[in-house]
Amino acid sequence: MIGDFKLIIIDENLCKGCHLCLFMCYKNVYAISPEVNKKGVQLPFVKFEERCTKCGTCEVACPDQAITVDLPENWWMNEDVNFNPLFTRHGK
Amino acid sequence: MSEKNRFLPYLREDRLPHIFCPGCGNGAIINAFLAAMEKAEMDFDNIAMVSGIGCSSRIPGYLKCDSLHTTHGRALSFATGLKTANKDLDVVVFTGDGDAASIGGNHLIHAARRNINLTVICINNNIYGMTGGQISPTSPKGSFGTTAPYGNLDSPFKLAELVAAAGASYSARWTTVQIENLVLSIKAGLKNKGFSFIEVATQCPTYFGRKNKLKTATAMAAVMKANTVFKSAADRMSARELEGKIVVGEFANIQKDEFTENLERISVEKSGKKTLINSAYSTEL
Ligand SMILES: Cc1ncc(C[n+]2csc(CCOP(=O)(O)OP(=O)(O)O)c2C)c(N)n1
Ligand code: SF4
Ligand code: SF4
Ligand code: SF4
Ligand SMILES: [Mg+2]
Repeated sequence: MIGDFKLIIIDENLCKGCHLCLFMCYKNVYAISPEVNKKGVQLPFVKFEERCTKCGTCEVACPDQAITVDLPENWWMNEDVNFNPLFTRHGK
Repeated sequence: MSEKNRFLPYLREDRLPHIFCPGCGNGAIINAFLAAMEKAEMDFDNIAMVSGIGCSSRIPGYLKCDSLHTTHGRALSFATGLKTANKDLDVVVFTGDGDAASIGGNHLIHAARRNINLTVICINNNIYGMTGGQISPTSPKGSFGTTAPYGNLDSPFKLAELVAAAGASYSARWTTVQIENLVLSIKAGLKNKGFSFIEVATQCPTYFGRKNKLKTATAMAAVMKANTVFKSAADRMSARELEGKIVVGEFANIQKDEFTENLERISVEKSGKKTLINSAYSTEL
């Protein structure tokens, strides 16, 4: 299904083109479209879908609620997972 | 698959896209709050949001729950009244660095001292965004703003540390770049029965960025990421090494007496069933 990206949807009407999704995705799934849409926005697009781990980070990080990821597993929100090894949930 | 963004059902969609500039951190903080609320298994209908004035204070207006958009600096005063009148509500406060720390600075330290059960999300973009880029009490030394054309000469407040020192039972700082940790921290704050303060260092590309040679949101995010130090590492660093750094982590996470519980206890103790709280309309209930 090359070219038929179903895992991640970007809402063109909501996206303001900040490109934080490119910055936040740790797997470099996104790229920037060379064209400008009617709102003057260079939309991001899913270039390497196969790299996506469905972590859902881009969905939370998008300030404009423009990204939908299929089944975000949000594995980093699991109680047993410390996303950063230095992160201590119960302080000290 | 669901074609709809998972946060939209909580938002007033007729008001979208929201007013925030492209790349402003406010929108991501809305998502982080909603993700945390889901994870904490909170009832959205039992949440009442309170905010002051500022770009960040416009957040509750986009959420489909009860909210109070109050006067500048007074979000915590209104929230204290609301929580005291009805302690069963989950009261969440969205406030900016100017709102919480300049005009509202005294309300902040005293709400923390009382340890009243509120969850406060303080959106720290180091500047007054709404009014056009004036220096705030958290603007870093040397940063530029419309009121500091030669660079800010003053030392900034460290809000999460300040609130912890003032007596809050939960206080933490994260940035919009560590969005994962931010979600977990807001969740911990929502669950904590006491004053919970979550400072979020965030980007205002329009004013802080433009004034400080960081024109894009991604440039601001990259600088923020590069300057972040985890608390456990910061504890072993000198003051000089920490200059200009953003220390992230938890600064307080303790058990302590809570204001409205204390009030209810004394009320029952002194007046029995005829408690001060809710007695005026108890017959209607
Ligand atoms: C009593 C009062 N004084 C001043 C103002 C003007 N004013 C509006 S927003 C604001 C600062 C907002 O800064 P902050 O709380 O950091 O919010 P941001 O816009 O940066 O999110 C000021 C000074 C006001 N509205 N009311
Ligand atoms: S983060 Fe959201 S608004 Fe920004 S470019 Fe990506 S999809 Fe668009
Ligand atoms: S879900 Fe995670 S891996 Fe997939 S595109 Fe988003 S941030 Fe990248
Ligand atoms: S002025 Fe700054 S804080 Fe206000 S919406 Fe724009 S980027 Fe956000
Ligand atoms: Mg501000």
